[in-house]
Order: sequence, then structure tokens, then C-alpha cells
Amino acid sequence: MVTCAPPPSEASENREERARAPPTPPRDYKSHRAPRSRTLRQGKMADTAAAAGAGGSGTRSGSKQSTNPADNYHLARRRTLQVVVSSLLTEAGFESAEKASVETLTEMLQSYISEIGRSAKSYCEHTARTQPTLSDIVVTLVEMGFNVDTLPAYAKRSQRMVITAPPVTNQPVTPKALTAGQNRPHPPHIPSHFPEFPDPHTYIKTPTYREPVSDYQVLREKAASQRRDVERALTRFMAKTGETQSLFKDDVSTFPLIAARPFTIPYLTALLPSELEMQQMEETDSSEQDEQTDTENLALHISTDDSGAEKENASVLQQAPSLPGSRNGEENVIDNPYLRPVKKPKIRRKKSLS
Amino acid sequence: MPPTGLEPTRMNRKKGDKGFESPRPYKLTHQVVCINNINFQRKSVVGFVELTIFPTVTNLNRIKLNSKQCRIYRVRVNDLEAAFIYNDPTLEVCHNESKQRNLNYFSNAYAAAVSAVDPDAGNGELCIKVPSELWKHVDELKVLKIHINFSLDQPKGGLHFVVPSIEGSMAERGAHVFSCGYQNSTRFWFPCVDSYSELCTWKLEFTVDAAMVAVSNGDLVETVYTHDMRKKTFHYMLTIPTAASNISLAIGPFEILVDPYMHEVTHFCLPQLLPLLKHTTSYLHEVFEFYEEILTCRYPYSCFKTVFIDEAYVEVAAYASMSIFSTNLLHSAMIIDETPLTRRCLAQSLAQQFFGCFISRMSWSDEWVLKGISGYIYGLWMKKTFGVNEYRHWIKEELDRIVAYELKTGGVLLHPIFGGGKEKDNPASHLHFSIKHPHTLSWEYYTMFQCKAHLVMRLIENRISMEFMLQVFNKLLSLASTASSQKFQSHMWSQMLVSTSGFLKSISNVSGKDIQPLIKQWVDQSGVVKFYGSFAFNRKRNVLELEIKQDYTSPGTQKYVGPLKVTVQELDGSFNHTLQIEENSLKHDIPCHSKSRRNKKKKIPLMNGEEVDMDLSAMDADSPLLWIRIDPDMSVLRKVEFEQADFMWQYQLRYERDVVAQQESILALEKFPTPASRLALTDILEQEQCFYRVRMSACFCLAKIANSMVSTWTGPPAMKSLFTRMFCCKTCPNIVKTNNFMSFQSYFLQKTMPVAMALLRDVHNLCPKEVLTFILDLIKYNDNRKNKFSDNYYRAEMIDALANSVTPAVSVNNEVRTLDNLNPDVRLILEEITRFLNMEKLLPSYRHTITVSCLRAIRVLQKNGHVPSDPALFKSYAEYGHFVDIRIAALEAVVDYTKVDRSYEELQWLLNMIQTDPVPYVRHKILNMLTKNPPFTKNMESPLCNEALVDQLWKLMNSGTSHDWRLRCGAVDLYFTLFGLSRPSCLPLPELGLVLNLKEKKAVLNPTIIPEAIAGTQETTSNPGSHAQLVAFQNPFSNSQDEEEIDMDTVHDSQAFISHHLNMLERPSTPGKEQAPLEMSMHPVAAAPLSVFAKESASSKHSEHHHHHHHEHKKKKKKHKHKHKHKHKHDSKDKDKEPFAFSSPASGRCMRQQNGGGCLVIQKTQQ
Repeated sequence: MVTCAPPPSEASENREERARAPPTPPRDYKSHRAPRSRTLRQGKMADTAAAAGAGGSGTRSGSKQSTNPADNYHLARRRTLQVVVSSLLTEAGFESAEKASVETLTEMLQSYISEIGRSAKSYCEHTARTQPTLSDIVVTLVEMGFNVDTLPAYAKRSQRMVITAPPVTNQPVTPKALTAGQNRPHPPHIPSHFPEFPDPHTYIKTPTYREPVSDYQVLREKAASQRRDVERALTRFMAKTGETQSLFKDDVSTFPLIAARPFTIPYLTALLPSELEMQQMEETDSSEQDEQTDTENLALHISTDDSGAEKENASVLQQAPSLPGSRNGEENVIDNPYLRPVKKPKIRRKKSLS
Repeated sequence: MPPTGLEPTRMNRKKGDKGFESPRPYKLTHQVVCINNINFQRKSVVGFVELTIFPTVTNLNRIKLNSKQCRIYRVRVNDLEAAFIYNDPTLEVCHNESKQRNLNYFSNAYAAAVSAVDPDAGNGELCIKVPSELWKHVDELKVLKIHINFSLDQPKGGLHFVVPSIEGSMAERGAHVFSCGYQNSTRFWFPCVDSYSELCTWKLEFTVDAAMVAVSNGDLVETVYTHDMRKKTFHYMLTIPTAASNISLAIGPFEILVDPYMHEVTHFCLPQLLPLLKHTTSYLHEVFEFYEEILTCRYPYSCFKTVFIDEAYVEVAAYASMSIFSTNLLHSAMIIDETPLTRRCLAQSLAQQFFGCFISRMSWSDEWVLKGISGYIYGLWMKKTFGVNEYRHWIKEELDRIVAYELKTGGVLLHPIFGGGKEKDNPASHLHFSIKHPHTLSWEYYTMFQCKAHLVMRLIENRISMEFMLQVFNKLLSLASTASSQKFQSHMWSQMLVSTSGFLKSISNVSGKDIQPLIKQWVDQSGVVKFYGSFAFNRKRNVLELEIKQDYTSPGTQKYVGPLKVTVQELDGSFNHTLQIEENSLKHDIPCHSKSRRNKKKKIPLMNGEEVDMDLSAMDADSPLLWIRIDPDMSVLRKVEFEQADFMWQYQLRYERDVVAQQESILALEKFPTPASRLALTDILEQEQCFYRVRMSACFCLAKIANSMVSTWTGPPAMKSLFTRMFCCKTCPNIVKTNNFMSFQSYFLQKTMPVAMALLRDVHNLCPKEVLTFILDLIKYNDNRKNKFSDNYYRAEMIDALANSVTPAVSVNNEVRTLDNLNPDVRLILEEITRFLNMEKLLPSYRHTITVSCLRAIRVLQKNGHVPSDPALFKSYAEYGHFVDIRIAALEAVVDYTKVDRSYEELQWLLNMIQTDPVPYVRHKILNMLTKNPPFTKNMESPLCNEALVDQLWKLMNSGTSHDWRLRCGAVDLYFTLFGLSRPSCLPLPELGLVLNLKEKKAVLNPTIIPEAIAGTQETTSNPGSHAQLVAFQNPFSNSQDEEEIDMDTVHDSQAFISHHLNMLERPSTPGKEQAPLEMSMHPVAAAPLSVFAKESASSKHSEHHHHHHHEHKKKKKKHKHKHKHKHKHDSKDKDKEPFAFSSPASGRCMRQQNGGGCLVIQKTQQ
């Protein structure tokens, strides 16, 4: 079963096939008839995992010939993982496994290893390093609930299989940055070990021949007429594409009015500020936030936070009447009958039965 | 908690000094309302009520309750089935066959019908017979529990369902329901004693969908799921004794916000509006603080709820411990204009929580005290919040309103006393409706009533000082709260009711002052005072000779006798004089303090102690008088027309610090179009310390003056340079600065000035081209990107400005309006309007203010003949589903079109909408607008005025609006405006004889009089005094196809009528369904109300119909006999067997099908 990993091209093809028809497992695996109890079937779970795998790989398998070095790299890694999974399965005593199951386990293994990597990186960055050390890995494993002490023994187990290192394909090459023009050499007072000058276009000044318009009047004029043009064009378009009303019976095109359409809930559009206005409000608010909005936010915070935790405190109602006016920053619990949980009905039937 | 442990002996009313006498032979102590099913799809409600009552007399065998619309299935008294009768004479006021079209007659009949079910008179629509098994129990004055099962199906009033027609569950759709109505309207949704004076404790239970919230009065005790976990039941308990009329309900998928400052206050709004709710209510706690502080009294209820709902009946409705507001009051922080308005609404509702909800009234004639106090403390809040200027301005506005109304329609009487019920003493004979009941009042009258009530409270304050005033309020409140905590002593609860005499007594106890003359003048008497003042200065005596005349003969006026304050500003300072206005003294000599020779260097001291330099060159060299004010503190409800020279008004405007004085002088200066006036107004406009409202009205005055001075005007158009200086860029004066509305005063000024400028006219009476371009530029360069606030109101006003600039089109030979002959200026205006209106569809503005202004502007263009007059556009905007402001604006345009183009079709369209529109407010508003801008009036010839319209309107007020008091009164107002009090002139002359056709749907009279299209509703009319409606009795069941000539003598013969009537009564009652085809001919017989109104109508018509006097008297007597002969009796046994049958006589709906209660089984009993 260790050998079950198909050659790369086949694998990718198979994956595609699965993506097309996930519920039917590929035929060739069925030929390996094994005792049922030791055959790994995952049913639904495998299907979904496969589907997920197919979705994930969809972008890659789009190009059938995986000539891209990066793609190759991914495939190789995947293949190695599959080999590992297969060997572990063999070790565990399985004789055969469905493709879907292997895929799922591979997926799990891969995410487990990725998580170790991600987490270890975070730990190392937390201690202001860039290279993870052994201790980072250990902490990570502990954090993930893995008993590290068992690891050495496991590594030295007798029946373990050794897998040959995957053939190293060509590493993905980072494309060379585009350069434009000749970099300026360092002037003599700059030591040569300093970085080179960037490309000239990043600092060279190009003189323009016309001053940009900064006259207030012209700007306002321009903004106004632009807005007006946009509005007119937009409304005309809307009027042309929809139903219209007209003020003149003989002419429907000069002053087209978009027909009035009743709303199902008219007050919503009438009262709620439009998104544009909301945006505007945020912009202006951030610049000049006054006292009132501050207190409002505070109040808001209280009311939302406490709605869950009012159950414990039933005595607030007595205090409540004394509240009006007191700015209650310290007041933390609100008891309001409308926030209390709805009671379950008293079950009368049971009582009557017993 | 039901006070079941109450001993009946305690219930014996002590005739204490408070002297509240219940009109009922029992005392209600507790009521349970349980609504266990609410169906939004069908708009129906099922539930029961249980009233705990204690009889106060031994022979109580009938219990009268109020109930309208409800279908009553079953009534049990102490678990025994009880028989009941349901009769509502207000469903159809005058009977269908009536040919009477006289408004006087209707009003009397209506008042009688309302009286017949008035809980304050111990009456009710529902009469329950106490089962005989319980008579002994009753004689021992033991407790009775009345259990009533009822349902409501598609209620037309009382409860309003809002169910948007979109996909999803009811909660997702935002469907909600709430109680509404005008005055005591609780009977529309559950049986109760619908009086403000019958207090009891309450247990309220509402089972609603699990996604919904039921908000009601009192404390929410618990919320429990039903067994299937799909619904939950809200249990409310209201332990403070409360009148049924103050009970309310709102159910919907509300978002809940606990007030962050006061945790016992909870706010509710419809889904998605929570951010607005947060902002809107963030202010409420300050109002609470204010009222609690001035009243030195805690808010009486343990919790308070505000609910914001759609399609509100009124903007603010206050009920016990909760207020229902229109959702349209919600606003975000960007909106300037709505903020003060909404805050005012919140404050108003809170004031009514104290006076109106917690403290209730004894009777309708005490209503003014509650309205007065709540309005007055609301005024105090305004003064504190918006400042003295705003307050005084508001008082002046309110005073002007009430004065204008009273002078127009006759007086508004705050405290009507009805002794003996004689129509001759009718205090409101000048009105076309009765003021005996809140439900017969015109809505406008009622608003004015409230306005006058708070103004009178202010007068009392002036008399006894604010401290005493607040002490009185505090006393009322503390008495009430002591009484309310007496849980088991319901006889104490009457302390929670306020009466006029009780209130006056507390005033005299607290202040020791006699305010009786004041009360007599303003409360017990209607009318306002009209002063005319003029003066002359007597140089020799150095005396100001002031002449003050009064007009007390015109309608709506009264004579004033008493002190009157006059303030004279002289060179040496301001001096107050109190004149005694007496019967015959017109002239008053006031000595002056200053010599006319003036020291030019000296500063002139003002009233407030300030000393200012004045340019005195404009003054009359001989007189030291700068200006004179009569009643500067508005301590009389009056209108003053005072004559003084233009320069005096100008000084007053410039230097008097009181905003009211400034406002008055602005009004006066309109008559003095001189350069000096212009200068004074411009100075005021520029003065930033000046109150912004004064500056705003100065704008309009300046425009008027400029128009009067058009030939001599120099310089640029009025206000243009001023506006440029204030709001335009320094470098490029034609471009307005980018909007910054941080200073509200200048924001309001910036909004108003262009609107006023657009009113300017040149010598050709056209708006100057310069002004129009200026406004167009303002619109063009408007830039709100950097503004913290929304500019929607500003842009809307710019459109108003455009509309103001429109002048009538020059039309050659009435040519048809087409695009080709469109005036180029109008083309520009139209382009802007089109663009704005279209942009609204993409980026709607708050409350669609811009659409509203655009619609108004389009109507102005139509009216001025620039655009073909066509109501189609407005009709599409008036449809249900548009925002209510848009609808109202569109409807206003249609109303105007109806008037100008005399369109019968549109009038019909409007009338149809009045009957069918889902939103009660819109229906009310259409009637209101038609009344304000009627298509014709009573003295006018109009093709619209025809018999069919008379019938249609008559039908509308007679039976079509029985579910909404306000609407019915609105219909009465409209009828009055169109046809007047007496018989409409368009009806055929009675002398022509009477032709009656008893077959429906066929024209009887000359077809030229009645258009075919509306022939379905035709009814022949007859002599108003002849009671010709009774003729229909001649043959109500015969399906005779023939026309029948009826001899007037037979008609007049009431004996014949009565005998026929009796015959009819002896017929077996037919089930409702079968009667449907005969619907029109069925005649409801409500014995008591019929006789009552017959009596009243007879006596009230003296003045109008002398020639029928004779007949009337005859009839009156006969009717009396009739009354005694008959008695309602209900054979309840039959009906109780099939309680769910549709033909249940108790069902309000059935009643209507069967024409207003006539189907009750009436038996002739022994005499």
C-alpha cells in the first residue's frame, strides 16, 4: 500500500475526476479486496474532504501540465506526505485504503504540520527572533496538546519505515526585479557597503510646464459642474431605462421624471441615512468628535455589554429609581424586565399525570 | 393584584368634600385584559376581559359597559351565563332613510348618540343583565366578576395593524399593531368602562409570536413561552389605578433599547432603526430630570416605555407609563431641523404622563385643567431648554393662533357647564358641532382648546407666581400618589381625578389669592379680547393720551375689564403703567417722565437696564416717546392693533430687547415701506445677537417692503449683498461657501434668506433675473461634503425658493401649455426640479424633504400656467406605500387641483381615499386639507356642488366614519365648510313637492340634477323641517318598483308614523344574512337616542326654520310618548346557544351589516 501513491500526473488527473464525480471512488482501488474490517472507508467525511481538496487544488489543476516549478514543488510535497501517510497506515496494519481516505489523512497531516510551523514561528517572533529553535517547537507541541515525552520513544520504534527524501525539483525562482535606467554610483563620501541607489525613476524630478489648477473659484466650478453632469447623466439613464412620468403630455423626453414607486416599508428609506451620508458622518466625526458622542458611545457600550449578565442581580430594580441623571460609569448591571430571559412554561400535564 | 378582599361596605361612597359622584351604580376595582391570539394576516384579535365590580346600589340588575367593534361571544357574571344587549347608536347617527340634510340636525343627533353611550353619564353600548340567581348576592353588595369573551376582526379604529406586503414571517416583515384613537377610544378594542374617571388596577396579558414584543402599561412581570414554544405571553401588572382610556398596547418585532441613563426606561423601535432610536432618546433623561425637579415629585410609575411605530394616528400619544410615537420622529445626529421638534414631542408626552395619565380627570369639562397643566409645564421645559426667547416666541405664536381661531369661528370654551341640558343655554351655539363631548369636537377646535388651556395656565401663573403654581401641582400629585398606594381602598382613588373646582380650591389654599375673576373671564367664558390702541402726546401737560378701544361685539370676542399693563419707552428710560380698563373709559392719561428736549450725548436706558446710544434724529422733536407697548407680557388673551408712527416701530425693532416686541414691530413695518424701515430690518438681519426667528421674519418683511418700494429701490436686490457677505466666498462672491451648519442660527438664516428673496418682484411683477440666477447658483455650488450635518432641509428650501420665484405665465389666448412656449426661466427651474426629484429616487433624503418640496413646486408651476395642470403625477405619489410626508404633499396638490380646476373626478378620488386608505392619519389629513382649501364654499356657485355630493358626504359622516371619532368630526367640518349649517343650496326646493322612489339604484328626480354615474347613492331630499326621513317607514319592506307620491300632510302626520312604526316593530326579527338585500331599507331603532335627538333637534332649530316650528312641537310630544312605550329587550337565550354564529346580535360588525343596531329584538312591553 505504500506504493499506492500514483505518479504525479495521474494523481492530478484523478483529483480532477474526483472533483467531477465525488461519490464514486476510482475503480482501480476497489480491486484491492481486503478484509472489510481493515479497509479504511470514511463515507461522507471522505467525500467532503475530497471535495474540499478538489476545490483547493482547483486553481492549480486548471493548467493540466504542471510545468510551473512552484506547482511541482507543491506536488512533490504532497506526494511525500502521501507516502508518509501510507507508510503509517501500513505500519498500523492496514492493507489497503481508499484514495479518499488517504487524501483526508494527508490533508489532516498537512494542516497539523502547518499549524506547528505557524505556531512555532509566532513563538519565536514573540521572543524577538526570526529563526525558530527547538524550544519553540516544543512549546508549540505542548500547546497543541501533544505529549512531547513520548516523541523520542516513538522515533526509535523498531517497525518504523524510512522514506527516502523526495527528489528535489527545481526551487521556485523569484523573478528579478525590473530595473529601469542606470543606477547612480555612490558618491565618494558614501561607503560602498551601503545599499545601492534605487532606480532613477523613483527620485528623478520631471519638470512640468503647467501649474495644476489651484484657483479656488475654478475648482469649485469644476466640482459643481462635474457633480451636476454626473447626476444628470445618471438620472437620465435611470429615467431612460425605467418607467417615467412626464409633466408635458406631448413630450416625455425633455423632463423625464423617474416614476414614483411605492415602497413596502416606506419609513426605512425615509429615515435611515444613506451609506454616503454615513460615510460622510464618520469622516467629519473623526475630525471633531465632541463630548456628546463620546458619552453616547460609553452608554451604548454599557447597554450592550450587560444584557447578558443581568441574571445574577435581581436587586437592581430597587436601586434603579435613584439613577436618573447620575452618570453611571460604575453601574455595571442593568435589570430590565425586557432583557430577562423568557420563562419556560410550567408543565402542567406531567403534574396531573403523576 | 385583584383586590378581592375588599369589603363591599367600604364601597359606599362618602359624599366627601371632593364630591366625585360616579355615574355608575357600581365601582370597578380591577380589570383583566387577556388577548390570547393576534392574527396579523387576518388582522384579528381574540381575547377576554374580566371586570371586578362592586355594586353600590342594591337593585343593580343591569350593567352598562362600553364596547365598539368587538364581537362579543359570551358574557358570564360570576360564572353564570348572562344575557346582554349590544346597541351602538353612533354607528349610524341619522337613519338611512332620512332625507334630512341639515347639519344642525345631524350635530344634535350625533351629540345625542354619543350621550347615549357616554360612560361619563353611566351609559354604554353593552348592557349586561345580571342573572337573577345573583340578585340576592347583589343586594348584599358583594363582588361581581364579569367575564366577556370577545374578538375583533379587521378593526377600523382603536387598533391599527401595519402589515407590509413582502415576503417573510410577520416579524421579518416588520408587521406591528398598536392601539390608537382620539380621547377615550379604548372601547374600540376591548369592552371596558371607557371613561377617564373610572379607575381600577389592571392585569394585562398578551400572547404573541415568539419573535414579537408586546408593550403595554405597567410592569412587565414575566414573559412565558407557550407549550409549543412558538409564542410567548407577556404578563403586565398595573397597580396604580388607571382609567381604561389610558390603557394601550403595541405589538411588533421591536428592537429593545434600555435607556443607558435610566434603566427602568425602555425604548422600542421597528427593526433596523436602532441607531436612530439611540440617538433620538439619548436626550430623554434630561426631560425626566427637569419635570421631577420642578414638580418635586418622582415620576409616578415604576417604569416608562416609549414605542415608535409606523402609520401613527397622532405624533404623540401618552398612556399610563408608556407613550406611543410616530416612527418618523426618529432621526440621526446629522439632522438639525427634526431634533428640536422630536425633543418637544418627547417632552410633551412626558408632561402628559404626570397630568393626563397618572392624574386623570373627573369629567370632560375638567379636561382643560389637565391639558393646561401639561402644556404649561411643557412650556417651562421649553423655556429652560431652548431659552426665554424661544419660549416667548412660542407663547406669542400660540396666542396668535388662538386669537385667530376664535375670531374666525367664535369662541373656545374651556370649561363648558351643561346645566339642565337645555339647548337654549348651549354655550357653543356659534359652532357647527356640540362641545358637550370630546367625540363631537372638531379636531381643530380641540387643538385650539389645548392651546388656550396652557395659555390660561400661564395667566394663572402670572397672577399667583410660579412658585405657588408648582406647589399646587405638587399638591395634586402627592394627593394622587397617596391615593394610588391605597391598594384596597378604591373609594380613595377619586383623589387621583382632578376637577376644575378641586384645582381652583388648591390654588386658593396654596396661594391665598382669589383668581375667580380670571377663571370667569377665560375659563367659564369663551372669546378673546380685541384692543385697538392709539395715542397722542400732549406737549403742554407732558402727558401721553392713550386711547384703548375694544371690540366685543364681533364673534369670538369678549369684553375685558381689569388691569392692563402698558410699557412706555421714553428718552429717560422705560416705564410700566398699569391701566384699569373699565366699562366706559377709553382714554387714559399717562404722565411722561422725560422732557422732550433731549440731551444728545446721553445714553438711553432700556427696560432690562442696558443703556444704549441711539440715533434720535428720526424722532419727533416734540415728544420724548420712543415706543409704546400694550400688554407686553401677554397677560391677556388678546389681539392688539396699535397705531404708532413708523419711526417708533423702527426704534422698537432695533432697541427693544423682547423678541415679541421685535416680532410685532416687524409685522407693523410691513405697512411702512420706507428706506428707514429697510435700514432697520437690514440692521436686524445682520445683528448676530438678535434672535434667529426674528431675523427670519425680518427677511420676509424686507421682501415685502422691497416690493412696495420697487420703483424707488436702489442697489442690488434686497438681502443679496447681505447673503453674499455672510455665506459666500470672499474671493468669488457668486459662489457659496461649502456648507458648515455648526452654527444653527446662521443655518436657519441661510435657509430662509433665499426663500424670502425669491418673493422679490420687479416693476413688471416678475422675479428679478438676478435673484433667480443667484438661487440657481446656490443650488449649483451647494457642497455638503465637509459638513457634519445633512443639507436635505437646506436643499428643500432652495426648491421652495425656486417655487417662490414663479410668477403667472403670460398666456396668449389661453393657448395650451407645451414645451415650445415654455418660459426660459421656468425651463431652468424645471430642470433643477427634475434633477432633484430624480436624484431622490437614487439617494433619498431624510423624510424625503426634497421630494416634498419638488411636488409643491410642480404644483406652483401648474397653477401659474407654465406646465399643464394635471393631477396624475400627484396621484401616483399619493398612493399608499410612499412616505407619509410625500403623500400629504401630493394630496395637498390634488386638493388644490380639485379646487382650481373644479374637478369632480378628483374630488371623488379624494373622497374614495378618505374611506379606503389604510392610514387613519392620511384620511384625516385629506378631510382637513379639503376643509382648509375647499373646492367651493357655502355661498358659492359651483358645478361640483350637487345633490349626489351632499348625499355622499352625509353618508360619510353619518355612518361611514363611525370607527374614528376624529374622522367623523373631520367629515362634519367639511360638510359645514361646503354647505353650511342649514340645508345645502344645491338641493331641489322643497316646494317642488316630494317624489320618493323606494327602489334602489334608480334615479328618481330629474336626471339633469343627478349625474348617472353616482346614481347608486341618490336619495330624494325634502323639506328640512318635515322629518321626511320618516317617510321611509311607510313601506320599508315592500319591494315596490313604482314611484310613490307622498302627500306632505301624511308625512307630517306623526300619528301615522308612529302607528306604522309600531307595526314594524311587531314584525319578527329576521336573521342578518337574509336582510342583506334589504340593507338600505332596514331601519335601526334605538329608542332612547332617537327620542333624545328628536327632542334636541326640535328645539335647536327655532332660529333657522320658523315655518316648521309648529310641526316640530307636535312631533316632540309624540316622540316622548313613543319613548315610554318601547323598551329594548333582548332574547338572549336564543343567541347564547350559538355564540359563534355570525349573526350574533352582539357583534359590532354584524350590527353594521344590519344597519346600526336596528336588528335588536325589540318587544313591546307593558306600559
